Amino acid sequence: MSERPREALRRFFRQRSAALGAAIVGFLVLFAVVGPLVSGHPVEASDFTRGITADDLPVGPNLTFWLGTDRLFRDVFTRLAVGARISLFIAFAATALATVLGGLVGIVAGWLEGTRVDVVLMRLVDVGLAFPFLLLVMALGAALERTTATTIFLTLGLTGWLGTARIIRAKTMQIRSLDFVVAARALGQSTLGILARHILPNVAGPLLVIATISVAQMILAESVLSYLGAGIAPPTPTWGHMLFDGQDYLTVAPWIALAPGFAILLSVLGFNLLGEGLRDAVDPRKD
Amino acid sequence: MRSILGRTSALVLLAGLVACGREVPAPIPRAGGEGAPPARGGTLELASFADIRALDPANMADGLVPQMLEAMFAGLVDYDHEGHVVPDLAERWTVEDEGKTFRFFLREGARFHDGAEVTAEDVKRSVERALHPSAPNPYASYFESLSGFAEFAAKKTERLAGVEVEGRYVVRFRLDQPDAVFLPVLAMPMVRPTCKSAGDRYTDTWVACGAGPFKLAPNGWDRGRELRLVRHDGYYQRGKPLLDGVRWTFHVNSTSQRFKLTRGELDVMREFLAPDLVAFQTDPRWRPFGAYEANKQVNGESMNCELPPFDNVEVRRAVAAAIDREQLRKIRATNLVVQTRPVPPDVPGFDPEVPAQTFDLPRALEHMKNAGLAYDPATGKGGWPHPIPYLVYKQGLTEATAQVLAQQLAKIGLRLEIRIVNYPTFMAIRNRRRQSPMAPGFWQQDFPDALSFLEPLWTTRSINDEDSNNTSFYSNPRYDALVDKARREPSEERRRRLTTEAQKILVDEAPWAFTYGYRWYVQAQPYVREHTAHPVWGIELSKIWIDRAGGRMASRALFGHDARTTFASVFGDRPR
Repeated sequence: MSERPREALRRFFRQRSAALGAAIVGFLVLFAVVGPLVSGHPVEASDFTRGITADDLPVGPNLTFWLGTDRLFRDVFTRLAVGARISLFIAFAATALATVLGGLVGIVAGWLEGTRVDVVLMRLVDVGLAFPFLLLVMALGAALERTTATTIFLTLGLTGWLGTARIIRAKTMQIRSLDFVVAARALGQSTLGILARHILPNVAGPLLVIATISVAQMILAESVLSYLGAGIAPPTPTWGHMLFDGQDYLTVAPWIALAPGFAILLSVLGFNLLGEGLRDAVDPRKD
Repeated sequence: MRSILGRTSALVLLAGLVACGREVPAPIPRAGGEGAPPARGGTLELASFADIRALDPANMADGLVPQMLEAMFAGLVDYDHEGHVVPDLAERWTVEDEGKTFRFFLREGARFHDGAEVTAEDVKRSVERALHPSAPNPYASYFESLSGFAEFAAKKTERLAGVEVEGRYVVRFRLDQPDAVFLPVLAMPMVRPTCKSAGDRYTDTWVACGAGPFKLAPNGWDRGRELRLVRHDGYYQRGKPLLDGVRWTFHVNSTSQRFKLTRGELDVMREFLAPDLVAFQTDPRWRPFGAYEANKQVNGESMNCELPPFDNVEVRRAVAAAIDREQLRKIRATNLVVQTRPVPPDVPGFDPEVPAQTFDLPRALEHMKNAGLAYDPATGKGGWPHPIPYLVYKQGLTEATAQVLAQQLAKIGLRLEIRIVNYPTFMAIRNRRRQSPMAPGFWQQDFPDALSFLEPLWTTRSINDEDSNNTSFYSNPRYDALVDKARREPSEERRRRLTTEAQKILVDEAPWAFTYGYRWYVQAQPYVREHTAHPVWGIELSKIWIDRAGGRMASRALFGHDARTTFASVFGDRPR
């Protein structure tokens, strides 16, 4: 590892909030991978024998059901863990798509600043940013006959790159005028070569930070969609849908809503802390 | 870190609210004792999550409306507490010509809200107005046995020949053939007499005016917000109603209704969340003033008999036997009751001798085998090879029951793929021919008789390419003949035998797998007197009177201003 990344890593772990964010994200990933394996309960099957009280209400947290059961008497812990897999998959995949698209559009527009290509791309971004995000995503979701994790991540990814493109364009324009880029051009290096060897490595840091914070936004967006009934169809568990299911039972079975609510809060907090830590760690002014 | 602290505090506050929410405050007591004489006055406060789009007997489009129309429009006949047809504006009637002629004798001196007397001419005009094809009346076909109905509905004539005025207070209805349910249908609100201001034909700008116990207050219908009715002092039943008025507020969710009830701002409530209902039912202070309404609704799984695999009767029988209805009931045990037959138990015509559709997994697997779709639960092999799209509407009870149903049908080799759409889309797709293989079916009685279910839901003539009431597209000539014969049969006993035979066919051929009925629980305040559930209207507003200790403002003294303000700040409601 060269000196600069090592220094950035050192700076990252020196921040307690960043380390906490990394720990939370690590825990979430572990929970998503291991949770369903250790719970011992099927994710979609109701337990009308042990998961229900004498009053026909869900049972609270106990040794059998660690986080209690939901309104259909299914294990909340298992559903939360499977929901974590789905939420994280959608968030990571949508972020990856949005980052690639946003990075590509931003670099091209920034490099070709002032040209027709730049004007067209940026007006496209302006129109996209002016459109209410949630309305757009819900309209797309409603237009699809059946929503799956793939359609949700495509919907979020294809609508979530606009802000990234704008930031990366500005960064590209800034780097393009720096001496080493001017020198590379003077020496006759090809445009693709300059973009690959000089521009991309220099926008990678901001791109990583944006992507990390974007993961949190994608988790929230997916939860909102599911909460509003435009997400993945049941019985597949999603945190947003679990939250919706639990709200009517808040007075007698608060764990149904609190568990996904806390999971959403924790994951958004974790990715935000991680993103902020990364931003400070890769900030060149700190070198 | 500050944000973490803030969010943790929010969680603690939420937990505190949760803890508070378990308690049901004491109700506001009544002023008088058990034998207190009825007193006039007061406005009954009601609320609903739903709204209404029209307030006209000729356009009864929403579930809430019949109750309101019953309060505003008196009919020739009405239903009593057992669901029997009794005189209303008509003080008596005669049946002649082997059940093909009904002659009604109106009460003299009965007045509309505008002060005009109710006459036979008004009856004829109102019937023609409601049944004319220009009126958006979804129930007009219930009157097809009236002489001249077909010509009138086809706009070939301007007057309905089957309704004749024989004097100022006598009106005659002539039928082409005997119709055993003509009187129960007539007691429904849609052809009830309307004021002359309604005119001869339907318009959606008319201000509702009838001869019922309550009339619309000036500017009393604030669309989307509330409906206010006031007492009709010219009502023919002297001394009734006792209430000064009734106010319905719309778009009030269950949680808000619950808190309004405990604060004394709502007098009767029925739209409970299940956990709240448990709290009220188990509280001895509230329990004596709550009761279930009659079970007049059937729910089931409607299987499209024109689409595979449900075009095979053995698959439908397998589904009917594979559903553990007790499990479905437990999803909302406070309101659901297991239902295994086409006609709900509280509806006249229910027959316990009709064999029930019951849960029997081995038998279900046997039916699958008979259908050529043998399924081995041990290996998971066999069954129907394709996923079956199962349509439900967004965030309703069926979204929950669908998930348990999918678990149950997977045990016989039928894999449901739940598709959630909004309610209008759900209705459009489910009710369109050859579109949806399986979807929830539900129906509530229009009039208290078995034919209110058997005729619209499963007869061949109820099949339409669009907007079909027969959502399973089931067609069986023998069944059709039994239902038609029952409709013409004047003898109660013989008609019962016919409807029983028809029900046996449905249970066996299973166009629907019957699952549960939904019982509304109505919680009244102790001070709401003479409140008993009516089998058709739910609430009988003309009898109710209010006997509240300290009047409407009593809630302030009981709950204290600070507590009310705190509630308001948390739940966003403005204290009065």
